[in-house]
Amino acid sequence: MKDVKLSIFRHDPEKEKEGKFVEYTIPYVEGMVVLDAVRYVEENIDTTLAVRWNCKAAHCGSCSAEINGKPSLMCKTRVETLGENVNVGPMKAYPLIKDLVTDVGANWKSIKRVPAFKPKEGLQEPWRMQQVDIERSKEFKRCIECFLCQDVCHVMREHYEETDYFGPRHMVRAASLDMHPLDDLDRARFLNEDAGIGYCNITKCCQETCPEHIRITDDAIIPEKERAVDIAYDPIARLIIGRKSKKRGN
Amino acid sequence: MENKNANKHQNPAKTRLIPVEFTELNWRFWSFVLILVLGIYLLGLFQGNVSDAVSKFGLTDPWYSPTVLVIPFVGLFRLTCYAYRKDYHRHLFDHPVACELNTRQDKLGRAYTGETRFFRVENFHRYFMYIAVAILPFFYYDFYVSLTYIPGSITLSIGGIIILVNTLAATIYTFSCHSIRHLVGGRMDCFSCTAAHKSGGKAYRFQSIFNTHHEALAWTSLAMFVFVDLYIRAVAAGIIPNLHMVL
Repeated sequence: MKDVKLSIFRHDPEKEKEGKFVEYTIPYVEGMVVLDAVRYVEENIDTTLAVRWNCKAAHCGSCSAEINGKPSLMCKTRVETLGENVNVGPMKAYPLIKDLVTDVGANWKSIKRVPAFKPKEGLQEPWRMQQVDIERSKEFKRCIECFLCQDVCHVMREHYEETDYFGPRHMVRAASLDMHPLDDLDRARFLNEDAGIGYCNITKCCQETCPEHIRITDDAIIPEKERAVDIAYDPIARLIIGRKSKKRGN
Repeated sequence: MENKNANKHQNPAKTRLIPVEFTELNWRFWSFVLILVLGIYLLGLFQGNVSDAVSKFGLTDPWYSPTVLVIPFVGLFRLTCYAYRKDYHRHLFDHPVACELNTRQDKLGRAYTGETRFFRVENFHRYFMYIAVAILPFFYYDFYVSLTYIPGSITLSIGGIIILVNTLAATIYTFSCHSIRHLVGGRMDCFSCTAAHKSGGKAYRFQSIFNTHHEALAWTSLAMFVFVDLYIRAVAAGIIPNLHMVL
């Protein structure tokens, strides 16, 4: 492979009504990732290109984009896996700021609404936890908040305006807190009534897309749905298990 | 930047009695309905000729088969199973058919209620799971009958072995269920607090090994059921011999 044909979505909402894909031809370098290619365009061809990136190591979650129709991190997607034609666009689930940069600010509002960590009463300091107890929460702590799961989720993307669903990222956050051994809240009722967990229909696109390989649906959303079942649909289990559902948490 | 929340409007699908998924002109869903209706019709035809079939092939009446009696329960168990939920929401209702953004066939403005409204019934999966677990011993009883079919001796037959494999597949599928994962330990936040929590944690981790493969187990088990039914029906009709060994 010598050259790469890179189509980048260009749109400045302040100046144009509609955006379009602009094709650039750039030299291929072995091991190149899509972010390298986009940065080549930014530095050598058109310095007005807007692109958000930071660590280039799949840790900051800044360079999320839609690459050849798949939400991916630009820094983690090798050009050689895509062929000669590479198509890069912004995450369409979010309002566009410019070119490849979107406004993901709605997520910070949702995060604030998920009830925060509340330690159990009477804990002796320093807090001690067994490794076996924090394994589940640790999986969710791998989240880099790239919001690719939110972008690929069809509820967030195609049905956002008619549902109250917070999205997979926030289910993961709620699960990480709910399964924390020292947390005293149960967020299942909040997720069921306010965060729209019922709108998730288990299609697992978020799980397939997650660059950190978090099993979002299996380990976060389904367990939270089951906890909601304890409270709202299974009075027998509620009696037997005696879940700490009395606290709404918000 | 405009807040998307400000543009939220009332979901029209929320006011409908019949889920929109059942009223859309969706070829995938209606093809499935057609195949289902055709299957039931063929079963009805078979019932009409049952007396001839019994005399000619040794077949039994499908409407009075124990399988038909338990189908509503195991059917609802599978229909509300998280593995099948994914499959039919994707492949029958196109919500969405694929994760690839160019081919997903879900679109803005299309009505959607997810697992609320009518599909809230999926939350009762746990109750159907209880029934499915209660039915499992009868499959083992079938295997026992195949072993003791000839009085006074033990008969090991190909049919018996297939029944056993099918039963084991159904057992593993049933016990790899997400609801069981939740009940044995997933509901706990602390796996080291008490002896009961420690046992729950061990059970949770062990069950999770199978739960990871729940989808594959679901389809394997379903395919096994179809194969076993066809095999037994074929043996009963005398189409194929049931090779066996009397011990």
